[in-house]
Amino acid sequence: MSGLPDLPALGAPPRIGPALLRVALALIVVYGAIGAGLSWWQVVEAERLTSDPGNPLLLAAEREGRRGRIVDARGVVLAESVPGGDGSWTRRYPHPEAAPILGYFSPDFGSAGLERSFAAELLGLRSLAPGGDLLRKLRRDLYDPQDVQLSLDVRLQRAAVALLRGKRGAIVAIEPASGRILALASTPSFDPNRIVDPDTGAAYFADLLDRPAEASALLDRATMGRYTPGSVLKIATAVAGLGSGAITPQTVYPEQPAEERTGFLVEGFRVRDGHHPQTGQRTLDLTGAIEVSCNIWFAHAGLDIGGERFLAWGERMGFGAAIPFDVPTAASTLDGGDGFVDDVELANAAYGQSETFVTPLQMALVAAIVADRGTLMRPHVVDELRSADGRVQTIAPEVWRRVLDAGQAETIARAMQQAVEGRLGRRFAGAAKVPGVPTAGKSGTAELGGEREPHAWFIGFAPVEAPRIAVAVIVENGGAGSASAVPMGGELMAAWLKLAP
Amino acid sequence: MDPLAISLWIIRLAFLAALYAFLYLVLRALWRDLQANLRGADRPLGRLRVVASPDGIPSEGSVFALDAINTLGRDVNNTVVVDDAFASGRHAGLTYRGRSWYLEDLGSTNGTWLNGERVVAPMLLGWGDEVQVGRVRLRLDRPDVPPAIR
Amino acid sequence: MTGRAGIANRRRPRFRRREALLLGGVAGAIACGWVSLASTVAGRPSVGDPSLLLAFLGLLAAAHAVLSLAGSRCDEVLLPVTGLLMGLSLLIMVRLPQGLVVQEFGPLELGLAPLQLTFIGLSLTAATVIAVALRSDLWLRSYKYTWAAAGIALLLLVFAFGEETNGARLTLRVGPVAGQPSELLKILLVVFLAGYLADNRALLAARVTRLGPLRLPPLPYLLPMLAMWGIALTIVVVQRDLGAALLFYAVFLVLLWVATQRLGDLALGVLLFVVGAVVLYALFPHVRERVEIWLDPFATAQGAGFQVVRGLYALGRGGVLGTGLGAGLPGVDGHPSIPAVHTDFVFDALAEELGLAGALVILALYVVLAERGLRIASAARDDFRALLAAGVTLVVVVQAAIIVAGNARLIPLTGITLPFVSYGGSSLLANGIVLGLLLSLDDTRLAAPPPAQAIGRRERLRDAAGAVAGRVERVIS
Repeated sequence: MSGLPDLPALGAPPRIGPALLRVALALIVVYGAIGAGLSWWQVVEAERLTSDPGNPLLLAAEREGRRGRIVDARGVVLAESVPGGDGSWTRRYPHPEAAPILGYFSPDFGSAGLERSFAAELLGLRSLAPGGDLLRKLRRDLYDPQDVQLSLDVRLQRAAVALLRGKRGAIVAIEPASGRILALASTPSFDPNRIVDPDTGAAYFADLLDRPAEASALLDRATMGRYTPGSVLKIATAVAGLGSGAITPQTVYPEQPAEERTGFLVEGFRVRDGHHPQTGQRTLDLTGAIEVSCNIWFAHAGLDIGGERFLAWGERMGFGAAIPFDVPTAASTLDGGDGFVDDVELANAAYGQSETFVTPLQMALVAAIVADRGTLMRPHVVDELRSADGRVQTIAPEVWRRVLDAGQAETIARAMQQAVEGRLGRRFAGAAKVPGVPTAGKSGTAELGGEREPHAWFIGFAPVEAPRIAVAVIVENGGAGSASAVPMGGELMAAWLKLAP
Repeated sequence: MDPLAISLWIIRLAFLAALYAFLYLVLRALWRDLQANLRGADRPLGRLRVVASPDGIPSEGSVFALDAINTLGRDVNNTVVVDDAFASGRHAGLTYRGRSWYLEDLGSTNGTWLNGERVVAPMLLGWGDEVQVGRVRLRLDRPDVPPAIR
Repeated sequence: MTGRAGIANRRRPRFRRREALLLGGVAGAIACGWVSLASTVAGRPSVGDPSLLLAFLGLLAAAHAVLSLAGSRCDEVLLPVTGLLMGLSLLIMVRLPQGLVVQEFGPLELGLAPLQLTFIGLSLTAATVIAVALRSDLWLRSYKYTWAAAGIALLLLVFAFGEETNGARLTLRVGPVAGQPSELLKILLVVFLAGYLADNRALLAARVTRLGPLRLPPLPYLLPMLAMWGIALTIVVVQRDLGAALLFYAVFLVLLWVATQRLGDLALGVLLFVVGAVVLYALFPHVRERVEIWLDPFATAQGAGFQVVRGLYALGRGGVLGTGLGAGLPGVDGHPSIPAVHTDFVFDALAEELGLAGALVILALYVVLAERGLRIASAARDDFRALLAAGVTLVVVVQAAIIVAGNARLIPLTGITLPFVSYGGSSLLANGIVLGLLLSLDDTRLAAPPPAQAIGRRERLRDAAGAVAGRVERVIS
């Protein structure tokens, strides 16, 4: 019953009404999405945002609030708030040797270390009790300061700092089975008490900032320092090789003894070694190669593994990205972060040269993987949070990654024991031997090129069967590993086994 | 528990509640409008039946459903296309405002007529009134009158 | 024609019951918020100094009274909804440090809140006057090219004489009065678009559907689209005002689609947008910076990302129920923790103190605004009015969506105001005009739309072309 039976419906533009309805629906969808986005920030992410160290809320709270204490594993106070003159609180650090991990908190100069990353907990912006935040809104005290208990043992920390005295370097000691950090030293360091002191703070802090980067005292070398690792990286190569199946414990390279004299030619670059007088014509297997730290063997192994697999296995050990830890960490890389450009780089990386850059924490984790027979625990230094009303939140040890079979790890562990205790190994890493205790380790000498003295490295663990401590030691420009870093590692492990029998 | 803090929170929550109360009132108003619209949505507001059409476009007896705003004329853009030699492109407007129908001339050459009277100013019209555009005459019918009794 | 105005002229005062009820709700809510704020600040139950509150409620009551006395039959929900937004604005302006903006008028020195209240008054006045006094839209529709030219002239004026704030060249100063012309520009462009699309949409829509490969007049069809695209690009390049550019372009696209309802137009528009965005990203560091901040604000939390990160902290702190008015937004050394908290980031401030609960109410208010505006559009008496009502509605709600999504890091941040809430005279005035236009378009008193012939010659040409197209089509079939 059309009014225009013989005319096509031309010219009448589409009706606007239905289109407007669709526009309205689209707007509802858009606003719904915005509402969902807001909910994400205000509900899901709210807690993370509130405890973010950059939150001005913390700055405001820091001015008025008292912070909780930081104590070591046995309850020794490392940081506490003491009343200042005018009703404010000042921070005191009875054991400044723990400064690299503690950091500092000063109303004038901000904060660093655990004082920064655990600010929300120390100030007590969040309650440990479920629903506590709501209750706190009804009470008028805004804050519920919590004590932070560390896994750090101040006695071991002191020993580590003493070993590094007068040198630049870092030591990380970790409990392999739990990932608990036992000591974390970095020198040169600073005295947080002097930063906090209103009289000397400004001059002292300015002086700290003034130092050249390589002598920086504010840099925590253990977590943020990136160094060429040298031969200690061979342990990571061994893990990647065994794990990926590219090598076996029995793998030998027949051409290796000859190459000891001529050098192993990779695309025009000669990989060289210095142990030939001791090993002669003998072909080395994995254990032998670790014991005498054979660059040529590991260059072959690296090429067998291949760049891609090497990086993938590196990632499983924590390379390639910042390690999730209680304070910020730098990322360690096998390839400088830009891939292996050629086989030369790969071959050199396999024994810890070219563009490998690692943090001491990362190398401690490599030792811990072998020590814990293939399992990598998430490293942590904060064990417990305790609120004033006695509530405790424990941070339980947590498996981060299962890297390797126990059997394969055992092979590497025994090889590392050979490196410390074996006939040939003794020459390099024998000084790490803990008297009376089976000890495993690996020394490293990181060539830096030019006139500079190499970095001295040691990683290791003890006792070999059921390791209670794994360490990584670096002494910047410390010369050959065997001379400085190795004995320090040994002393530290010995100290710990004596302290915690 | 601090009494002041509690009373502060009571006021704060009361404020939020008041915001939601307002929102409720608004949404209720919206809902009522929607209901009212739905009730009247399917039904046209009126019908226009062609009583006489010498040229046959539109044909006699055909019926147009009317919206609130309708235009009559020769142009194809009109709601009611009156293709009569004496009709102008846009000839007349027929609009429903408030509760009544109005007819106005849109500046046609030959004028618009309501029940034989020339439309100068907009004029009120009721059911059964006859509109003339050119030579075509159309009658305004109630919307509920069954369509087309030929 | 002479009698057209005569029909609905006589009006008796009419009580607008629904509006009165809703305004009562607004008054109750804002008063409650006022007490909450004053008590939090004073640390004891208090109403503080309620003069600003009373003045605000007085303004709302006056607007309501004028509409009632004039017997206006326009929508009764819009005024309360915008009123509540303005009330929230007043609350947050009272709460923020008054020193953020200070202006001296002779001996009188006004801080943030009194200034904002003045602007709210200005805005409500504009809305009410337009709603009551506008009798004809002829002057709007007849001179659409003039309006477009005026808008572009404004743009050039800003380009030539504008002052830079925060890296964007937005502010025009004439003697003691400073304003942001882009707020007015958005209305002018909508007026132009409504006029242009209403006159040509038959042609635009029929083009492809009916005459497929013939492609009737491609130039007049493409011209406005390219022009709008160009204007948007120019705003980005010249004014560095990403928000306004995004807003204009989005509103234009939606209006174009409403007019033609061709999905192809929408797709082409989006394609042009993508091309423009990529080019701008490649050429202009300030565009690139915005995108980088958006992707990872925390990477530059102390630098470029500072504002966004601070905004997110505010959202997080607010949580579900908020901190309560006056209890959030920690000041750092006397500065508010978010830069531009009273303009671009006012939503985050409200979301912190009112929580997610309050933030969702604000979003809902804009959705209601959209519903009312689009309802007015769909009931409008001709295409021009429908497109005008839809356009001004979109200008408000799309702008709100852009800035809120930017505040919540859902899209890159672009500095535009939150309509009716952000501090600023130009913004409030422009949005008051929008409110007034919507109210008057909903009023039966507005004269009936004129016949097409009464409009300019140029349009008649287009109509003729449309008619020709019709005849051609008829011949073909």
